[in-house]
Amino acid sequence: MGKLLRVLNREQCIGCYSCMFACSRVWYQAITVEKAALRVKNYAGIEGAFSIRPCYGCSDPDCARACPTQALTPRPGGGVLFDETKCTHCEACTQACVPDALQWDHEKNVPIVCRQCGVCVKFCPNGVIGMQEIAPAAR
Amino acid sequence: MPTFRLLDIDLTTGTTRVSDVSDRFEKYLGGTGVATSLLLETPAGLDPLAPEAPVIFAIGPFSAVFPVVTKTVALFKSPLTGNLGESHAGGRLAMAMYGAGFHVIRLTGRAAFPCYVTVDEDRVEVHRAHSLWGSSALAAERILRDHEPSSFKRSIVRIGPAGERCSPIAAATVDSSRHFGRLGLGGVMGSKNLKALVVSGGRYWPVTEKGKYNAFYQKIYEAVVNSPAMKKYHDLGTAMNVMPLSRINGLPTRNFSQGFFEGAADISGETFAEKHLTQHLACGHCQTGCIHMATLRERFDPEEHQYKTFKISYDHELVYAFGSNLSIQNPEEVLRLLLQVEKEGWDAMSIGVTLAWAVDAFQAGHLTAKETDGLVLNFGDAATYDKMLHRIKAGHNGFYRDLEKGAVFCAKKYGGQECAIAFGGNEAPGYMTGLFAYLGYATGVRHSHLDSAGYSIDQKVLNEPKPDEELVQGLYKESVWRMALNSLVICLFARNIYTKEAVLEGLAALGLTGWDEARLNATARRIHAMKLRYKERCGFRFDDLALPGKLARVISGNGQVTSERFARQVAAYRDLAAKDAGELPAEYR
Repeated sequence: MGKLLRVLNREQCIGCYSCMFACSRVWYQAITVEKAALRVKNYAGIEGAFSIRPCYGCSDPDCARACPTQALTPRPGGGVLFDETKCTHCEACTQACVPDALQWDHEKNVPIVCRQCGVCVKFCPNGVIGMQEIAPAAR
Repeated sequence: MPTFRLLDIDLTTGTTRVSDVSDRFEKYLGGTGVATSLLLETPAGLDPLAPEAPVIFAIGPFSAVFPVVTKTVALFKSPLTGNLGESHAGGRLAMAMYGAGFHVIRLTGRAAFPCYVTVDEDRVEVHRAHSLWGSSALAAERILRDHEPSSFKRSIVRIGPAGERCSPIAAATVDSSRHFGRLGLGGVMGSKNLKALVVSGGRYWPVTEKGKYNAFYQKIYEAVVNSPAMKKYHDLGTAMNVMPLSRINGLPTRNFSQGFFEGAADISGETFAEKHLTQHLACGHCQTGCIHMATLRERFDPEEHQYKTFKISYDHELVYAFGSNLSIQNPEEVLRLLLQVEKEGWDAMSIGVTLAWAVDAFQAGHLTAKETDGLVLNFGDAATYDKMLHRIKAGHNGFYRDLEKGAVFCAKKYGGQECAIAFGGNEAPGYMTGLFAYLGYATGVRHSHLDSAGYSIDQKVLNEPKPDEELVQGLYKESVWRMALNSLVICLFARNIYTKEAVLEGLAALGLTGWDEARLNATARRIHAMKLRYKERCGFRFDDLALPGKLARVISGNGQVTSERFARQVAAYRDLAAKDAGELPAEYR
């Protein structure tokens, strides 16, 4: 049984984006939040609250179903695998992801797929996200 | 090696221009150093509210790249002091400018209509915004976030109605309750018909020195998250200063009448945390989360059970300005007043100190019921302060319109100059710890407690007295070193993490070569000299600095501070600065 990324304590998020910087840094050697495979969304005003949108590692992913060319395929253990050579850049995958967790790489024009590696968790200072054992039936 | 670009926006013509300013970053590091060099190239004698007067936003090579390097520096000519206008703000602006691909954004001119500007990488547009004019600083952000969607993280800098009226104590607000508070940037933006600036983009630097970069990043991250260095700031925040300062007679109370506040426990960091703290927020790429948000729930219908709830940020300076210094010890009253200040977009310290002057001036007979139109001004009377703020906002009469011009202006016009607690024209921050707090405010290039942290020297010498002559050298040294930190635009809360050694390691990790300690120090001295050159060109003289009369009578945390002792050390500071004047680049002499 593999571990999957989960939001454990949304209300503890301070909006530092450290998780997104970590993901971009480790996987793309890019100093940015924009390459990250998860999003911390913030809302206007000092009423500030955050919504965290990680890849949930679905067992029957909507994004893969939406992909017309099978560039995205279900990954054993949850989530998806991406074959860039098959991608037609249609963005159907990101539109199919209801929580808007699947991110789009505006530079390369391809989806940014989560590897469920947990590096984002290592750089969260407040225990907002974590890697958890999720039974296949619950994915 | 990274390149650095400047975006010029002319609001008069709506034209833009991009230039490579990497050579300036090589010379002056970035941030305040680069922005000062640009400001020095403006004609002498400009009216701060003239179209030609620039607003320069700048970040540095560490911005968005390493943790806690979250600030953006704004340089402009201050309509409050008439010389160097410099203010720093956090939020997401530094990250957004980096993402847009501009380390410097310079706005000049005046739009023919109320406008806001969007910068989304190279797409720069000036939008008509009549409908936005008059909106509060909070509403403007909500509206623009809806109206200007972006694929990238955005930052929104905007002014409230106070800025639209060109108040010289108006702030510019950034994202969730961060501010370019001091010295009147809001008024300068208002003079340009500029309600807001929205910045976004997805540009980035690749990690080129992977081993060095990751090792340095990890070291800083550990220091920020797991060492005691930042604990104070994310635990109680700077409001933890309230009680200890009062205990040492260093908390300004009733317009600096005394340093002990009998109600300190009621407005302390501990009390705010227990009663009102609802959430911590962070600036983009800072794991500390020092922004303390308070919630206040109030019943608004006496007949029915109807409630409203608002959130507002607080810290030491706000608690001082609307708590002890106005003698308000009810935290709910402090929060209610701060909400008004936040919406209208004033600098909280400046408007608070100006209200405190008004009470003193009223009680001394310089102001009468004729000016206040019937209001009786007393310390501790939050309901009257609330009315005063409403009257300033409404432009009730000449007196209330004058109040948003600051304490020095008002005292000159109405009297009570000794009670206008300002240094170099800027209303004082929340420490009356002694001579070095005052000297820091006076001699600092932006007349801020953050220029040289004199309040910290005062507190150290309580246990270990040293001669003034020795301490003033420490004050000068600190103010110079902060030029380097402010050019990298590191949040000063992390000043003990970003030591000289760490700064050099960080520069190397980005492939910025050729920096050593000597060069770093010389660059800091040069930038300090450039700022003083700009100030002098605008008419600033160290010899004109005076201790507000009232402060020479009251007892500070370190006893009485006489005007003579103050003047002696100002002169000593002036002489130290004069020795470094040789660092000034030839083109600015």
